Amino acid sequence: MINFSQVTKRYPGGHEALSAVNLSIEQGELVFLIGHSGAGKSTLLKLIAAIERPTSGMVTLSGQNVGRLTRLAVPYLRRNIGLVFQDHKLLFDRSVIDNVMLPLDIAGFDRREAIKRARAVIDKVGLLMREKANPVSLSGGEQQRLCIARALVSRPALLLADEPTGNLDAGYAADIMAMFRDFHQVGTTLVIATHDDRAISALGGRTLRLDHGRIEEVAA
Amino acid sequence: MGWLRHQKHALTAALGRLRAQPVSTLLTALAMGVAISLPAVLYLGLGNLGQVAGNLPAQPEISLFLDTRAADAQRAAIAARLKQPDIAEARFVPRDEALAALSAAQGLADISAGLTQNPLPDAWVVRPQATSRESLTRVADELGKLPGVAETHLDSLWADRLQAALAIGRAGVWLLASLFAIALIAISGNAIRAQVLARRDEILVSRLIGATDRYIRRPFLYLGALQGLLGGLAAIGVLAIAGAILRAPVERLAALYGSTFHLLAPTPVEIGAVLALTAAFGWIGAWLSVTRALQQVEAAR
Ligand SMILES: Nc1ncnc2c1ncn2[C@@H]1O[C@H](COP(=O)(O)OP(=O)(O)OP(=O)(O)O)[C@@H](O)[C@H]1O
Ligand SMILES: [Mg+2]
Repeated sequence: MINFSQVTKRYPGGHEALSAVNLSIEQGELVFLIGHSGAGKSTLLKLIAAIERPTSGMVTLSGQNVGRLTRLAVPYLRRNIGLVFQDHKLLFDRSVIDNVMLPLDIAGFDRREAIKRARAVIDKVGLLMREKANPVSLSGGEQQRLCIARALVSRPALLLADEPTGNLDAGYAADIMAMFRDFHQVGTTLVIATHDDRAISALGGRTLRLDHGRIEEVAA
Repeated sequence: MGWLRHQKHALTAALGRLRAQPVSTLLTALAMGVAISLPAVLYLGLGNLGQVAGNLPAQPEISLFLDTRAADAQRAAIAARLKQPDIAEARFVPRDEALAALSAAQGLADISAGLTQNPLPDAWVVRPQATSRESLTRVADELGKLPGVAETHLDSLWADRLQAALAIGRAGVWLLASLFAIALIAISGNAIRAQVLARRDEILVSRLIGATDRYIRRPFLYLGALQGLLGGLAAIGVLAIAGAILRAPVERLAALYGSTFHLLAPTPVEIGAVLALTAAFGWIGAWLSVTRALQQVEAAR
């Protein structure tokens, strides 16, 4: 489903975040991405969602050359991807439920259906009591769960999660990972960048380690 | 399926944004209203002047002054010429009658009383069949060459000059209106630009989770069109106030000239056209502004 061939990403300024990465992820796989801070985990995820473009090499998603997509085509690619951002990227001018409904709005969902779906997923991440609240008033962990809810609400075929449990205590981290496992079991492809070893050992799956932009498979 | 829903959603969002900032909405509408009201006032003023011009003797007349020494045969020949079918009407004004009319005219009685003899010539007032400028001039020229005619005078001349001046004025209105349309686009673009920048985060996040440029642009376009519409309403308000202030003095002046002239208000069609145009130009300004801002916002990420 996801394919990297000889992908190098150099940011303006010259820093090479990824060096000649080769990688293949099949549909339905659960993949953990680990590595030190600055290793290039976020960069790798951004390349898949066409948020960044490779300096050289080719990234394909379901056969599409992601790095060559036009501005017009990019939105339709992203609608099939659930994105959990390391910095959450919530909107503080609207309520929790409106944040979660944004992807459905964008996709043109009927409002009543959208509310129903948003409610269900907000309930799953344990924020139903706060659905009318402004995200500003949420704790770091709650904001993270909100971001996860927004990524899951459109039931994407691919979930890219950047440190989804970074701010969560063990209980919530386990809940979120259990959610991810459920999605994995119904066939969703997941790529999760994390420092959380407990999560990895709990879920199993494949693990890739990045080290200064170079990638290696970690034996199970 | 989502198209109508998206439109409705964008319209609601735009209305919400207008309401969220009533002061800047109002100020922008006022700026637009004042800008549009300038060409609109000129347009209406010209329409009113045109009405004045239209109330002038509709049929232009040629005055034919006879030579005081003209022979009776010449006079008879002139009278015969004026019976021909290209002349609709011809009225002879004897010199005594002309002097009597002059004496009767206010303020001129003293002058005519002081005259020892009548200085006025006999005259014909002629209304030709044709009314076009060229044929009038041709008829006047021909009559002027008749023996015994001292002078002809085409009374429509000043009305023609007024019409010519009005034509310049109308061209001026369109020129001015074009300039102010550009101003309108600039005002709208500026207002929308501020809105876009205030919503940078929303735009960025929406793009990240799959919003098209069209989706992002739509509420801003509605916003521009609504803002333009409010500007149009403000302009009509300015016109209504100007009309209310000017009506009494203008009608007093008209009464002094013995005219029943009334200020013409804009017609519903004209009002509709102003509103449609301001909405359209607000939309264009918003489109330019948001398209440009979209590129900048993305580049600055
Ligand atoms: N927009 C950018 N411009 C320049 N350099 C960047 C940019 N984004 C990331 N980098 C650099 O690229 C390298 C990899 O960054 P990346 O965010 O992918 O690391 P990471 O593995 O996600 O780290 P962390 O665990 O701290 O999130 C870092 O050295 C970082 O400084
Ligand atoms: Mg990172």
